[in-house]
Amino acid sequence: MRVVIAEDAALMREGLIRLLRDRGHQVCAAVADGDALLAAVAEHRPDVAVVDIRMPPTHTDEGLRAALEFRRDHPGTGVLVFSQYIETRYASRLLEGGAAGVGYLLKDRVADVAEFADALARVAAGGTALDPEVVDQLLGASRHAHGLAALTPREHQVLALMAEGRSNAGIAAALVVSGGAVEKHVASIFGKLGLPPSEGDNRRVLAVLRYLRS
Amino acid sequence: MAATGPVTPMIALARVALREPFTRRARDELLFCLVGVLVGLAVLAVVVALLVPGTARSVTRAGAIVAVLLPLALATGMARRLGAAHRRLAERLLGERIPPPPPARPRQGPLGWLGAGLRDGPSWRAVAYTLLKLPIAVIELYAVFLWADGLANLTYPFWWGLFRNHPPGVRLSPVLVGTPFPGRVLHVGSYPGTFLAFVVGAAMVLAAPWVTRAVVSADRRLLHGLLGPGRLAERVRDLEQTRALAVDDSAALLRRVERDLHDGAQIRLATLAMHLGMAKEKLGDDGDPPDVTRARELVDAAHRGAKDALAELRDLARGIHPPVLDNGLADALATLTARSAIPVELATDIPARPTPAIETIAYFCAAELLANAAKHSLANRIGLQATGRDGLLLLRVTDDGTGGADPNGSGLSGLAQRVSTVDGRLEIASPPGGPTRVTVELPLRA
Repeated sequence: MRVVIAEDAALMREGLIRLLRDRGHQVCAAVADGDALLAAVAEHRPDVAVVDIRMPPTHTDEGLRAALEFRRDHPGTGVLVFSQYIETRYASRLLEGGAAGVGYLLKDRVADVAEFADALARVAAGGTALDPEVVDQLLGASRHAHGLAALTPREHQVLALMAEGRSNAGIAAALVVSGGAVEKHVASIFGKLGLPPSEGDNRRVLAVLRYLRS
Repeated sequence: MAATGPVTPMIALARVALREPFTRRARDELLFCLVGVLVGLAVLAVVVALLVPGTARSVTRAGAIVAVLLPLALATGMARRLGAAHRRLAERLLGERIPPPPPARPRQGPLGWLGAGLRDGPSWRAVAYTLLKLPIAVIELYAVFLWADGLANLTYPFWWGLFRNHPPGVRLSPVLVGTPFPGRVLHVGSYPGTFLAFVVGAAMVLAAPWVTRAVVSADRRLLHGLLGPGRLAERVRDLEQTRALAVDDSAALLRRVERDLHDGAQIRLATLAMHLGMAKEKLGDDGDPPDVTRARELVDAAHRGAKDALAELRDLARGIHPPVLDNGLADALATLTARSAIPVELATDIPARPTPAIETIAYFCAAELLANAAKHSLANRIGLQATGRDGLLLLRVTDDGTGGADPNGSGLSGLAQRVSTVDGRLEIASPPGGPTRVTVELPLRA
């Protein structure tokens, strides 16, 4: 996997480079601001870019803006936005152009190295990786509270994990249940929410996110 | 030398007296009086116009109320506008800048409008000024008269020969000559008599600027007292300004703390967690670790990161509120000075403990001033005194450095602003070449 990193804190940047190289990925460039990110993506055409939202010069949302910009020019490049806070507005802006090849994680998630690497690989492959906090906010803000209330607690957990962008196998591992059990839950959720059955993880995530955000 | 002593001041005085009528100041003050006379006449006309029909029409009680209140509301509005014109005039002609009073609070509806005019303090003070302007205008009229008649009297000897060359034996009535005493006139019937008129005129012109100045300075006092913002309004404006500063200051502090946490401890802890996560992988789930060397390296990095994060959090916490300040300002200052790079001679005498807010401001002022001295002054010794007496806390920082501290620099002006939020003062004496002395005066209670 070819990765570009945009992160202004040198300590974190070095750590990420080390983590990714350790797992056999190629870090094409590691930059510290939005303009350099755009240049690096145009030059290296990576599979995915890991982008800090708050970077110089204004320390507000330049990372996010740069990410949205290169997604327009290079739709095939995945972007994993990476920040110390989860902002609903940022999540909506990021998901506006579709959830394929998009990730939004808290920086803390790097502590679980394998999960982080897994999320990054998902995004690079055109999948989705949303932080549990983003999903919480989406669930909380959803206007389908009535439909969601019909779900059992277990189904609720499965829905949240689906919205994070996980595959059936990933959900099964996280909940320590069998793949068959997950399939049953998923079918039940789609039935209760009135969603058309979708084949493939990506289509399924899109259906769930569309439902939560509509 | 002894002989010229008393003479020189006399000559100087005469010089001033002779020069005074020709100065720009005298001209401007005369103009101010002229306008004052015109305003006085206009005010008289308006007062008559408003009051006479008002009393004449007071047939029913309701009618009387309307007839009195409406003119009053009108008068307050007009007086306010006239006051604004006067402030501009005073600034133009007298060089006197009088800040405007706060604007009247607008209210809805015709009754609201009436009430707004009648309840507005500055409007009533403007009415008072306008009415007091009447007697003042009379004196201003006298000043104008001194000038006009004095100048006229000076001309008598020059035109006498042109108009009074009548044949002998013809008797002409004498010409009237004004005197400084209105109502008293001189009768001049001969050419030598015109010189008397000239002398009277000269005396009037010499006296005129001083009379003008006297009445103008009385008017100036009224302007300040009645058309300015008033003491309470000035205090309110001060408080509004310092409140805005205090709010901005605390917002800036919170922003700085967030920024420091975001860029510092949070990053360090996230990286630390990442290192530990990687180390965990290297150690494997059970059995012999697959990569002990790398794991050891990563745990090392995490350990360093944890210590750095602790140090950073400690500095940040101390920057928000030094815990030692809870023991009192004297202890906190002792700790502060002990950490200074340049030796500090500390003297504290604070018998009554100030409130916590004052202690905090005093502490951060001292910290900032010590840091300034260490950074810019090239001083060898710094003195820090904190004294509490008469309800005041005095903080004095002196150094033997190069001086030239800029009171308008961001650091010192920021301190002055912070001090002003509790009605304190900051004084800086820092001539080029030194030494520098900064005094902070704070009330013991905020």
